[in-house]
Amino acid sequence: MEAPGRQVVIAEETEAWMERAVNMAKKALENGEVPVGCLMVYNREVIGKGKNEVNKTKNATRHAEMVAIDQVIDWCHQHKKDPEEVFGHSVLYVTVEPCIMCAAALRIMKIPLVVYGCQNERFGGCGSVLDISSPILTDTGEPFQCMAGYRSEEAVEMLKTFYRQENPNAPKSKVRKKECVK
Amino acid sequence: MATLPTSRVCVWDASTLMEPHCKRRKTEEPKDACPWQVVPVLSERELQSVTLMPVYAAPVLDKKQASRLVKEVSALYPLGDYPHLKRVRSCGSVNSSHPLEIILCLAGGKDKQSLQTALELFPDHQLDLSGLGEPFLTQVPVNPPLTRLQYEEAASHWPVTFHENKRISQALSGCLFTAAEKTSMQSHMELAIQAAQNGARQGMKPVGAVVVDPTTGRVLAVGHDCRNGVNPLLHAAMVCIDLVACGQGGGAYDYQDYPSCTFLPLADSSNQTSSCADGLPYICTGYDMYLTREPCTMCAMALVHSRIERVFYGAPSPHGALATNYHIHSCKDLNHHYVVYRGILEDQCRNLSQISVLK
Repeated sequence: MEAPGRQVVIAEETEAWMERAVNMAKKALENGEVPVGCLMVYNREVIGKGKNEVNKTKNATRHAEMVAIDQVIDWCHQHKKDPEEVFGHSVLYVTVEPCIMCAAALRIMKIPLVVYGCQNERFGGCGSVLDISSPILTDTGEPFQCMAGYRSEEAVEMLKTFYRQENPNAPKSKVRKKECVK
Repeated sequence: MATLPTSRVCVWDASTLMEPHCKRRKTEEPKDACPWQVVPVLSERELQSVTLMPVYAAPVLDKKQASRLVKEVSALYPLGDYPHLKRVRSCGSVNSSHPLEIILCLAGGKDKQSLQTALELFPDHQLDLSGLGEPFLTQVPVNPPLTRLQYEEAASHWPVTFHENKRISQALSGCLFTAAEKTSMQSHMELAIQAAQNGARQGMKPVGAVVVDPTTGRVLAVGHDCRNGVNPLLHAAMVCIDLVACGQGGGAYDYQDYPSCTFLPLADSSNQTSSCADGLPYICTGYDMYLTREPCTMCAMALVHSRIERVFYGAPSPHGALATNYHIHSCKDLNHHYVVYRGILEDQCRNLSQISVLK
């Protein structure tokens, strides 16, 4: 397919994958969930998909990327593939910049490339709040490359729409000090 | 799914443990035979050393003019963004030719700080300069001090106000927690250490975690690192967060293969102090997590998302995100902050890393 460790990303393909990620986010929004959609692509095949499952699992760490990573692990087991090799040659397509937690998880899994839509002003781990993806970190795992800005306007609009709604699962307490400013 | 036998649940009952203490402690608490210390992990703002900025100041040659000068200078050049700076300092030194010095204004950083005369600073007779000496440049602290250490450093440059945070000061002087609280901390960390050892027997990394509801003293979840199983992301803190979710009727993973990963089902945790409209707990709001070692960036951020209240860890980690590499718990830009203490049973926690993983 391609030389190990090198990712060849073809522009038309990127658009097609991002189209699917955006559609997943739309579905999530219709279901009253945080509108983030993502796919993990290996050898031009989607081997993991994810949307936010925080409310369903009562676990605040079940972000779309974490769900997709679990699916890829399962896929590797079903297909008797070495996860290290598969993750090392996969690309993540996600509508919103991964948060600090997910960015750290992507490093641990050694995913080389992340293509994303809009910035994540609140929690972003690829530069917005911290840069966990950066090669200067001597952290666990590996740094990854980011390609940002695909379909970002739509991704932002969906987030704004979501945050205008009430989250019935959120605690009633704290008044938000800062509105989501763009 | 295993549940916690009640015998292992530490019910925190202060009344049986605490000695009646007098209103004023005349002496430091006796150093009990406690070989470990609770150390607060301060935020970056609390730890940073004092940064300075240049200001114009001038000697007050005539003390009688002092209060007039303060009033008039303050009106012309208010220090609104720096309310911690005192306008005047007394020159205590015997050989000083003048009793007081007064801050006139900030020395703009952009233009070259060539020394200006009083007339240049106050043109057109804005100020009656009688009693004022020639201006000089000096350095003053930019930020208000948050800890006594910062205060002492700041005050050595120029007098500043200090609103001491009692909790931080108590924590730093080692008398924030009572003996009873330390006993319960120790028992929770012992549970975490036990879980780490049990995990290691199953070939897992020897890291353990425990979640406690401090209002009831109930242990809600006990878990260990499971990353050497099928999923490299199942660090101890992630496991424990999910175990709490299992206890609330959710959860994403199955712990059948890990009998030492246990949780308290919601039905057993009566008299819930609910943080949610429907009377149910909202993830980890109000809870404490005990970890045998400092969590990584992923786990530290997972705890932000989970709205944890306090984190107690034993030993630092080379890539830790609660002091070593980052201060995720006190990151200004994030929407939730939690309090972190380290050093609980530190030696025992450190020794866990010596456990050779048995396969």
